[in-house]
Amino acid sequence: MIWKLSLTGIKSRFKDYLVLFSGLVVASMIFYMFLTIAINPSFMTHDVNAPYQYLSFIFGLGIVLLAIITLVYLMYANSFLLNMRQHDYGMFMMLGARSSRVGLLIFCETLITGTLAAVVGIVIGFGLTALVSQLLIHNLGLSITHFQVVLPNAILWTLVFFIVLFFIGALHNVRKLTRSKVIDLLHEQQEPVRLGHHSIWHAIEAVLGLILLATGYYVLSLPPAAIFMTMPIALVTIVAGSYCIFNALLTSVINMLLKKKSFSYRGIRLFTLGQLKFRLHDYTKILTVISLLFALALGAITVGLNFNTLKDQVQMSTYYDGTIVSNSPQVKRETAKLDVKSEQTYHYKETAKYLYFNQAEFTHHPVKTMHFEYKNGQQTYRLQQLPTNKLSQPGTDANEIFGGMVPNGTPKVIQLVSPKQWQTLAGKQKFVQFIRVKDFDKDYLTLLKIGEQQVRENKSFSDVYNISKAAAYKMMLGMASGFEFMGFFLGIAFLTMLASTLMFKVLSGAASDKIRYKMLFKIGARERVLRRSISSEIGILFLVPGILGVIDVLFGLKLFKALLPNPYANIWVPFLIFIVLYFLYYELTVKLYERIVLTKEL
Amino acid sequence: MTEILRVDQATKTYGKRGEKQYQALKGINFGVDAGEFVAIMGASGSGKTTLLNILSTLDKPTTGHVFINHEDISTLNANQMADFRSKQIGFIFQDFNLLENLTNRENIALPLTLQGMSARKIDPLVDKIAARLGIKEILAKYPAQLSGGQKQRVASARALVHEPAILLADEPTGALDSSSARELLDTMVDLNQKDGVTTLMVTHDPFSASFANRILFIKDGKIGEQILKGEMSRQDFYHMLIDHLGTEE
Repeated sequence: MIWKLSLTGIKSRFKDYLVLFSGLVVASMIFYMFLTIAINPSFMTHDVNAPYQYLSFIFGLGIVLLAIITLVYLMYANSFLLNMRQHDYGMFMMLGARSSRVGLLIFCETLITGTLAAVVGIVIGFGLTALVSQLLIHNLGLSITHFQVVLPNAILWTLVFFIVLFFIGALHNVRKLTRSKVIDLLHEQQEPVRLGHHSIWHAIEAVLGLILLATGYYVLSLPPAAIFMTMPIALVTIVAGSYCIFNALLTSVINMLLKKKSFSYRGIRLFTLGQLKFRLHDYTKILTVISLLFALALGAITVGLNFNTLKDQVQMSTYYDGTIVSNSPQVKRETAKLDVKSEQTYHYKETAKYLYFNQAEFTHHPVKTMHFEYKNGQQTYRLQQLPTNKLSQPGTDANEIFGGMVPNGTPKVIQLVSPKQWQTLAGKQKFVQFIRVKDFDKDYLTLLKIGEQQVRENKSFSDVYNISKAAAYKMMLGMASGFEFMGFFLGIAFLTMLASTLMFKVLSGAASDKIRYKMLFKIGARERVLRRSISSEIGILFLVPGILGVIDVLFGLKLFKALLPNPYANIWVPFLIFIVLYFLYYELTVKLYERIVLTKEL
Repeated sequence: MTEILRVDQATKTYGKRGEKQYQALKGINFGVDAGEFVAIMGASGSGKTTLLNILSTLDKPTTGHVFINHEDISTLNANQMADFRSKQIGFIFQDFNLLENLTNRENIALPLTLQGMSARKIDPLVDKIAARLGIKEILAKYPAQLSGGQKQRVASARALVHEPAILLADEPTGALDSSSARELLDTMVDLNQKDGVTTLMVTHDPFSASFANRILFIKDGKIGEQILKGEMSRQDFYHMLIDHLGTEE
């Protein structure tokens, strides 16, 4: 009988259950999607093409953060579940059900809800993972081959994680309910919020928050070399600083606004400010977590997209787009397809020990190369000519660089000789032609083909090919794709999680806010005014951690200066994508909240 | 005497046409004059709450008319109704409905800010009504720091600060202990007698009702009899009311 009652209870609150359940499904879905990348070594090594240790560090960090936010999320979801059901449980007990029996009911309900959500989430996760990976691969033009949609290990760990958490949650619910008095269960506690009003402490805390944040940002701007020292400091100061800001600064600002009556005594502002003050007090921890996750998510997308600029970097780093050393018909055919801007040919004679070049060819057309340098902390390349007189001098940069530009199997000694001498020299005559094309992106694949063909024809060319622009570009493309994919994935996963958490937190308080809106409506607030109040109140709750998150990212990107040429390049793209998604979540939250608090029934 | 409230043949039917319908109000007629203190008594399901919702412009009658201050509120649209409520009606609720995250002063100021009154004018009005209700000392406090009786005084101040045409009280003593209830009712009588606040109280409690000058009984969606206090003392009126309730079918 009691099971039947329980089912009826769930049915009668189906809409609320649906919100809760879909939230949990989203959580398990994201967790699963994340794991499909994080614990898939073949994806890491093949597609990302970066040292696995480095990546497993990033993903280890990612899993920890995602687990924390999921935990927080589940805590809210669980308390929402409990709040939703406690009146029913109270009624069962009043009707004479033994508390052990009701305890079992709660335990099973919580665990079944959680497990079911995890399973549904994983199943939807398959589809979503496939969809997202396809979308990313196509839209971003990434080359991803080792990504698996169904990964048994990921399924296992997602299930374990969720079931364990819900097991703990279920135990907690049982403990809490069986220890409460029936009367308390029947009348949901409407405890008044106790707000501390020590304005001096608030002021001190607010200033401290600002100092901590400033310290964190300053530390982030230190040279990236000291990252392992600066990172923990920045993490601690920024977390603590954000907490103080939310706890004290914002409350102080709201108190100030409330006191400034020319501002607060207008329309519904008194109420909106009052609601916000109460919220911020209650939301301090969650807003801190959200601002950090916001920063991480936005940062992940920004950095991920920014790896694209590495490709430009590769293009800049080498002066010549291709090297031709073969006269074979295949090579000639491919070369003919190129849209050549300029070419430079040098002839040489090869003996067992030496490569003899005709000096005259260099006098008119010196070899050019790009010189890498740090300028004002920025990575730049400068065009330079290799001094012809140094080309044959062992130990000089010019000799070393030029040596790498010609096929030169067992390193042979480069000699520059006068045209006359060159004519008299014995040895096989060969040539090396450096090509620059008009549009590298367009001719990239042809250049790659030419390079590969020449390696097939001449093993000693492989050294030249490996450092050629096309080969470097190919490698970078793979790595950038991997990072871009990861950045996007991480970013979207974090965003979904943090926005869902914030949404849930707002919605779980909606039931108790209902009475306030009802009262306001009764004393003559127009519905439009109430909607405006809701929009601005929830808007600020979304905006504040968002702003702090954006500032965190702007400073945090400095960390990537060592890794990326210009971490701030095209920064508006990821910001726009992110803000649009975040805004959609905000709109959804407002709509759902309005549906709960602005009911017609009075 | 000018009539502040007139209810004319008001009915309220719930349920759509063709479905099972339920008539909560079956043609209500009555009026309240300026300066009167009227109580409406009725058991659960008598139509009390429906009537109160219509009087407070939260709901519209299915047929018939309701005039407050000579304005037909049954013809107003949603925004006009909201504006009307904010200017002409003061509310006291059973469970106070104070906003616990605002100070008492801010709670009282709320109806005025909603009307768009300029900030300068608000505080003097709040101070005035607070002095009248003896709650000046607790204006800076929060509702959670008050006793139930004090909370209901703050709620009364909020209901009266904009000098509404009529004060609607919905079981105002329902959440108070007996001495606080007594105190509040005395205050309401005092406001009615000295300041001419027109009051309509809905209650099922005979003790509370005995503070009114006139009591209307609502039963099965209709106004039945009414009894008048006239020159009687409150105690006598109370006994008469009890007798009346005891002999009622």
